[in-house]
Amino acid sequence: MYPDKHKEIVTSLMEGKFITVEDFLFETIKKNEDFYINFFETSFGFEVIGNHNFYYLVSGETNENTSRDISIFFSILCYELDKDGKNFLEELNYTEFYIDDILEYFKNSSWLDVIKANKQLNTDDSLKRHIGTMVKRNIAVKQGNDRYSFTKAHKLFIDFAKDLIKDDKNESIA
Amino acid sequence: MIKSEPKSILQFMANHYDLLRDLFDIQVKNDIITREALNICLENYDKNIQTQLTEYQILVEQNDDFAFNEPYLILFEFIHQQFKPLLPEEIEHFGQSIRTLFLKIKEGINDDKNILLERIEALSNQIKKFTNAVVNNTKSLLTESKELKANNKKIDYQEKIHKARYLIENYISPLNTILDVNHSQSIYNELLNVSQFSNVKRFDYRDESIRREFEKLYHLLRQVGKDLNTQSVILTNELLPLIERIKTESQYLRGFHHYLNNGNCYKGIEPPRIFVSTRDNIYNRFVYENTKEYFEQFKNEAELIIVEDAQQTNDWLFDKSKYKETLNKNLPVKDFFKWCESSIKQESENFSFDNFFMVTSLLFEDDYEVTVNKQGNKITVSNGESELIMPKLTIKKQEDVSR
Repeated sequence: MYPDKHKEIVTSLMEGKFITVEDFLFETIKKNEDFYINFFETSFGFEVIGNHNFYYLVSGETNENTSRDISIFFSILCYELDKDGKNFLEELNYTEFYIDDILEYFKNSSWLDVIKANKQLNTDDSLKRHIGTMVKRNIAVKQGNDRYSFTKAHKLFIDFAKDLIKDDKNESIA
Repeated sequence: MIKSEPKSILQFMANHYDLLRDLFDIQVKNDIITREALNICLENYDKNIQTQLTEYQILVEQNDDFAFNEPYLILFEFIHQQFKPLLPEEIEHFGQSIRTLFLKIKEGINDDKNILLERIEALSNQIKKFTNAVVNNTKSLLTESKELKANNKKIDYQEKIHKARYLIENYISPLNTILDVNHSQSIYNELLNVSQFSNVKRFDYRDESIRREFEKLYHLLRQVGKDLNTQSVILTNELLPLIERIKTESQYLRGFHHYLNNGNCYKGIEPPRIFVSTRDNIYNRFVYENTKEYFEQFKNEAELIIVEDAQQTNDWLFDKSKYKETLNKNLPVKDFFKWCESSIKQESENFSFDNFFMVTSLLFEDDYEVTVNKQGNKITVSNGESELIMPKLTIKKQEDVSR
């Protein structure tokens, strides 16, 4: 027998969505982790990757452009939040962002050259579309007309950036 | 000597508080108030009070410039709760005095009563100064760390990290060591020793006045213990986690900086692998666009007018079954092509050779046996425009042959 909500789990993952700890499907997939690892490997040759925050699928093919755009988006947003005196780790975990605030951060960013070079981030409309892409992948959640929050999936992209300098990690600071 | 009444001085300070506050800020920032800065400040407030400032010894001259006099500086620091953090060496200085005095008290416990009393009193003073220094330092470090965290000055993260490291290395970690109960050399532990000693001596000493001094010292140390414990809690629960968060965030920020810098995000560094969704639709994803495109191609097409040919044409149709029936009735036919010609001529005198050849196709029907005239006779078929020369063929029914 298949686990409860099997169809929803498979559909979500196959659509490239992250199933995060906030999601009611998370518990099911966590309880049946071995089954799903085996299921996706045998059925499609896909790999299920999971931790205590989220599960997602990877295959031989990767959507490199989208992933790069998301990584750049979070790097710049965190950088600007920090400059604004905000605790960006807490903000990403617990705060709802008004879309206008996000647009403002990007407009006044010190990383303008990076933003201008990126078609997904260089205008208000493209930024809104980009956030829409993140909503489709369950990295962001639309809370109201103008408000968005981020799911735990954001950690994949910020931890990726942090780990780029893992070698120096043991230094006391900086 | 200050000649003025204390009340007048305090009144003066109250009247000119805003100006004095500005001078205090300049002093804190630059460690000195230049003559030029003082003049600008006086002009801004339109006050001519330089004489009183020096007369009340609020400002003292340092070469050509001025500085806040120490007691006023301490007063302003205190009323604004804005302390310049003391270096650990400065705090340790109190620790040294405490250790030395305590040692002298223990060694000279049976010495002259008066010197013992004065040593106990001096020890109490050093302990109070030490406690004040620790309390003020914790406050100022917490304020500085919070400001750093809030980044009110919008400084770049590298400068912020540099400042955080500076605070940790030079102030916070040493302060933690001073207050660390598990550290045998910490001043806190030394104070515990003093407390135990005075607790014994407040009951066990022959002179009552000395006993009373030890009693006061013991109670002071109980309060100091509580105060230092509070500071230690602030340090552990607020200051260190705050610095820890700055540290953690700095690791992330370094990562972001590295990723975004020099266009690294576009070359060399692969982002995390994410899934390419392969949703199967029962119809093509672009069906809407394709359909639209298909119909749009007709949208601007020029009108096509078909002009019908006015002249009616009578298409001749080969009625195979009718011809075959006629042929069967006439079998055997000695000259097949002539039969074809005469049969078609019954319908139309001006037949075309295309129509003629359609009739001749009966030759290939399975029912017939065809033989060529042995003499090699040729016949001609004409439709008035052309003439065909053809062999003379005899055609019979297949069954006739078999018989």
